[in-house]
Amino acid sequence: MSKTWYRSLRELENTAEFQEMLHREFPEAASEFPKGLSRRRWLQIMGSSLALAGVSGCRFEAETLAPFATRPANRIPGKTQQFNTTVEIAGQARALRATSYDGRPIKLDGNPDHLSSGGASDSYTQATILDLYDPDRGQTPIESTGGSKFNRSWIEADTFLTEQFSQFAGSKGDGLCVLAESTSSPTAQRLKTALQDKFPQMKWFDYSSLSPVNSRGGATLAFGKPVRTEYDLESAAVVVTIDSDLLGQHPEGLRNARSFSRGRNPDSEQMTRLYAVECEFTGTAVAADHRVALRPSQIAGFLASVEQALASDEETHAADESAPWSQQVFAALVDDLKKHPGQSVITVGERQPVEVHALAHRLNQQLGNIGKTITLLPDESSADTFDEFVTHAEANGGSMLLLLGGNPVYDSPADVEVADLMEKFENRVHFAVYPNETSAVCNWYLPMSHPLECWSDATLYDGTYGVAQPLIEPLFESRSQIEFLAGLLGEETDGLELVRQTARELYPELKSTREWERVVHNGFHADSTAKPITPELQNFEGPAASTEWQNPVEVTNGELEVVFTTDSSVLDGRFANNAWLQELPHPLTKMTWSNAAIMSPKTADALGVKDDDVVRLELDGRQIELPVYVQPGQATGSVAVAIGYGRTHAGLVGGDVEEGVAPVGVNAGVIRTAGNRYFATGLKVSPTGRREELAVTQDHYAIDKVGLEEIHGRVGDLVREGTLDEYREHPEFAEHRVHHPPLESLWTEVSYDGHAWGMAIDLNKCIGCNACVVACQSENNVPVVGPDQVRASREMHWMKVDRYFTGDTEEPEVATQPVTCQHCENAPCEQVCPVAATVHSNEGLNDMAYNRCIGTRYCGNNCPYKVRRFNFLDYRDEMEAANRELMNLVLNPEVTVRSRGVMEKCTYCVQRIQNTRIEAKNERRPIGPNEIQTACQQVCASEAIVFGDLNNPESDVAKAHADARAYGLLAELNVKPRTKYLARIRNPHPWLAPPVESAHGHGGDGHGEEAHGEHAHADERHDAEVSHNSVPAPTQELREEQV
Amino acid sequence: MRFNFPTWTNRFVPVLIVTILGGAAYVGAVVFAATDPQTLNIGHKPTQPVPFSHKTHAGRLKMDCRYCHNTVDKAAFAAIPPTATCSNCHTGADANGSVSVSAVHSDSPNLALVRQSQATGEPIDWMKVHDLPDYVYFDHSAHVNSGVSCVSCHGRVDRMDVVEQVKTLSMTFCLDCHRNPDPHLRPLEHVTDLAWVPDEEPEVIGGRIREELNINPRTNCSTCHR
Repeated sequence: MSKTWYRSLRELENTAEFQEMLHREFPEAASEFPKGLSRRRWLQIMGSSLALAGVSGCRFEAETLAPFATRPANRIPGKTQQFNTTVEIAGQARALRATSYDGRPIKLDGNPDHLSSGGASDSYTQATILDLYDPDRGQTPIESTGGSKFNRSWIEADTFLTEQFSQFAGSKGDGLCVLAESTSSPTAQRLKTALQDKFPQMKWFDYSSLSPVNSRGGATLAFGKPVRTEYDLESAAVVVTIDSDLLGQHPEGLRNARSFSRGRNPDSEQMTRLYAVECEFTGTAVAADHRVALRPSQIAGFLASVEQALASDEETHAADESAPWSQQVFAALVDDLKKHPGQSVITVGERQPVEVHALAHRLNQQLGNIGKTITLLPDESSADTFDEFVTHAEANGGSMLLLLGGNPVYDSPADVEVADLMEKFENRVHFAVYPNETSAVCNWYLPMSHPLECWSDATLYDGTYGVAQPLIEPLFESRSQIEFLAGLLGEETDGLELVRQTARELYPELKSTREWERVVHNGFHADSTAKPITPELQNFEGPAASTEWQNPVEVTNGELEVVFTTDSSVLDGRFANNAWLQELPHPLTKMTWSNAAIMSPKTADALGVKDDDVVRLELDGRQIELPVYVQPGQATGSVAVAIGYGRTHAGLVGGDVEEGVAPVGVNAGVIRTAGNRYFATGLKVSPTGRREELAVTQDHYAIDKVGLEEIHGRVGDLVREGTLDEYREHPEFAEHRVHHPPLESLWTEVSYDGHAWGMAIDLNKCIGCNACVVACQSENNVPVVGPDQVRASREMHWMKVDRYFTGDTEEPEVATQPVTCQHCENAPCEQVCPVAATVHSNEGLNDMAYNRCIGTRYCGNNCPYKVRRFNFLDYRDEMEAANRELMNLVLNPEVTVRSRGVMEKCTYCVQRIQNTRIEAKNERRPIGPNEIQTACQQVCASEAIVFGDLNNPESDVAKAHADARAYGLLAELNVKPRTKYLARIRNPHPWLAPPVESAHGHGGDGHGEEAHGEHAHADERHDAEVSHNSVPAPTQELREEQV
Repeated sequence: MRFNFPTWTNRFVPVLIVTILGGAAYVGAVVFAATDPQTLNIGHKPTQPVPFSHKTHAGRLKMDCRYCHNTVDKAAFAAIPPTATCSNCHTGADANGSVSVSAVHSDSPNLALVRQSQATGEPIDWMKVHDLPDYVYFDHSAHVNSGVSCVSCHGRVDRMDVVEQVKTLSMTFCLDCHRNPDPHLRPLEHVTDLAWVPDEEPEVIGGRIREELNINPRTNCSTCHR
């Protein structure tokens, strides 16, 4: 298959800058002075490190050991312990398992016993641990009076609150107004009811910038009441996502990703086929077989047309090949839905209006999916009542506004002046984890505990009752939400007792301490999962069918469509101060530390703008300015802007104007109004003439062979894919895609008889969600380097997820490929290290001895995969500062913290290997076949990564390496990588499938059926004209094949 | 006018060269010797906040090492015992001033810190004697469960009033044993018996134990460095 692949448009256009970058191994060398760091500061850093070397003397510093006075039961110093808990992020409860080291939590993962994740987690969960140790969290109550801020104690805050609430006790709560961030916590709900009983005149409103207003409304329209949908994607034959990130940002994204990837088995009889109809490229569409980019306003018409077509008795025909892509996919989609009644899933994303959600429910009902691939569960969550708050505040004001969590000043619609509304209340009290924009207009800020610091509870998506237990005492003077509410009631404020009381009331069986302890241990109450319901479908008017989506879009400035996206890094802005997430490359754009105006190449051309041009976006008289990012696959005529950036009071990472730290990115909320929360038409884009370089990682660490054209041709060799038909005809097509001369090693071949650690990554399952990158960062103490260093290509992530586009730039296909150190058996890095700092272990690990490394960077030069990372600066410097010392607590003590001048890279989580080995040895048993999980494997929702012993035939990794789809990346260099990739199989509708080529492209020479070793082809690349000496080579088997 | 050294000074030139070379060699030798683990590590003997005597407890009273260092066979760290372990014997007077009959030295001024720690819950800050560099990951349990005795690295602690370091604990020290473990292996029941003397050639016993327990010490970098 001779697809042309590209990673970025710059590359496709082959600009001079790109050429320049490609020819430099480390795009900006150490000799270049780091930008953003003055020479003076540089010398200070240098000076202080020299001084330190002097004073530390000959022996290492004297260390003291402080044992417990009484050691807690079951605590073994230096051994990690795991606790199940529940953490709510933006109103979504997650069942998690926390790893604690000597009393401090160091890692968060999914709770493997709960179906919602099965042990996987997403990048938000992984990064939540960093927030716990963030010194920018609220540390004490703060009172603002007369334009100044004063740190107060809780005693003073309590005095103030008691005084206020004693007045409310008299007035039955008149003048008291509460605006609470939506929470699913039953205890918070119970205390709210108690407060309402005690203060009947009190007004209580729930608010969340991410509340699922449209999906609730859609379900209510369709069934008369809100419902939650759960999907069985494993047994579905056809999945249609309508503007929905079903495998990503959906509340059950992890569960969906897992069940989808299990149904994506090319060896099964029926492989799930995925259609994605959407505006901005989502992670879900990475996995799609067919994707149509439509502007959000056209999508309702598309789905209505689907309904119309399904209702008609006419036979569906393939659309003409010259017809627009959307029509071709439409025909195939309708055909598939008709052929698979009861085996399909249609799902709509939150962005689409209520009627579209309702229509999807109706279609699912008509297709017979409900009860088969779709389960409906009751939705007990409380509705968003922010609009009522606005009306109430405008009309009445009051004496006190109590804000529980949230940040309405920042994230509420732009046409609601929340700050002005708040002025209508005499006292404004903000109780939240971080002091933020909202706290800035309050006269009291009260610190709330981090979810890992307190007792709480929450209701998971499927209705299960989850319990949260504290992993650590509050680090600052903070209180948990339920303790605070109980305090307002004047009741007992012991968090554990409050939660237990709720549990007793809700589930009488939990009255027994034994049962309760079991629930705390498990993290959730298994018997509380909601029972499926079968509500009656109501009659309602669906969206009008239209044919607008069929026509190619003309780009007219002033009538563009703007789409507000929830960012994969900062969510709605709540993670703005989280450096791990800020530096996490966006799955599709690979952008870090910023948002941008994302538009397709065609749109950008029509507007006369290009990458990095700062443009003004005007919508209904409101405007923002931000740089352009040209993204293939964004719907023509639309511009996507991520919300959650441009925070002015986030902290020293995300921006704090009071401390002189500029905001990261631009606040898109400025043009986002109540009527246009998700998308709007009428956008005007005008260039400002300025340029701003975005910190994008996409062209970094390019695996380059000579010449760009070669790159485009050869990306197909790196990320190999084929269609299902191709796979069925030639199962081993991937292995045979690259032809090379016989491989002979210059060195004596080593045999590995004991363990042989290896990894396999299934490209068919990977959706490029990036969770592995953050998990690796958390496990392996990978530093954050900041936007300037990212622009200089100095990001330190041990794992990169490459993504490649192919096809038309307006309707591209995409493939993702996680790349880490491949632990080559003939590692090129080892051969060039002058000090033997990187050497091979007898189990096949490419070991890195940091203490030997002298920083020549030869190894990075010689690595064909570009996965070695060099510490150009002391990136821990930031953490060493006195006020940031707390952040050291997040470090994993099992992994060395690297300093400046040292090369580092993926170790296959050697600390996990070693610890499991010692444990097994002490117990006098062999290591289990799948006992060791790397951090990236553990986090992966779609089970794309497996790790283990290649010499153990029982292990998943040995089976994966033996799979027909397995191939080694750049194996033709004879580096013998220990990581193998499983080729991606697309499952196109037969009408849209490319013709099946021979596995070799040799035109049916019967090559595919011959029994031959993988190195036996002694000839040419089929599309290159070079012909090598074609002496048949002796079959040389890889060691894996001997296993 | 330029000053010229008189010719007779030429005879000092060789002396000067010898002095410079000799001096450099001397300085080099001193630095080498001074930074050698033999010089740096052996004999490190910090004063502890509580004058605890291993000689009394492990030697004279023959208490097993694991009575106090009870995580040595379970975890990487041979944990320093919590104060509660001391208080098992050295309880002070309770709130009523009465002292348990089994209490030992309940009013010794040497144990004041122990009683204070027990009462307040504040830890005693013991000084670390055997301190490996932070980039080394040593696991006690892996060694103790393989028949490597405490004495191999810590020496005859049962004869020390104040514990001091007697082995270099340098990388060579580790590697010597990892490359040839036989002389250092002993039956598991004698691991904490510091005075144990093998009744046959240590290599023979060690070899047998190595076979039995399938001990193959590794010398990869990642064995100790992560």
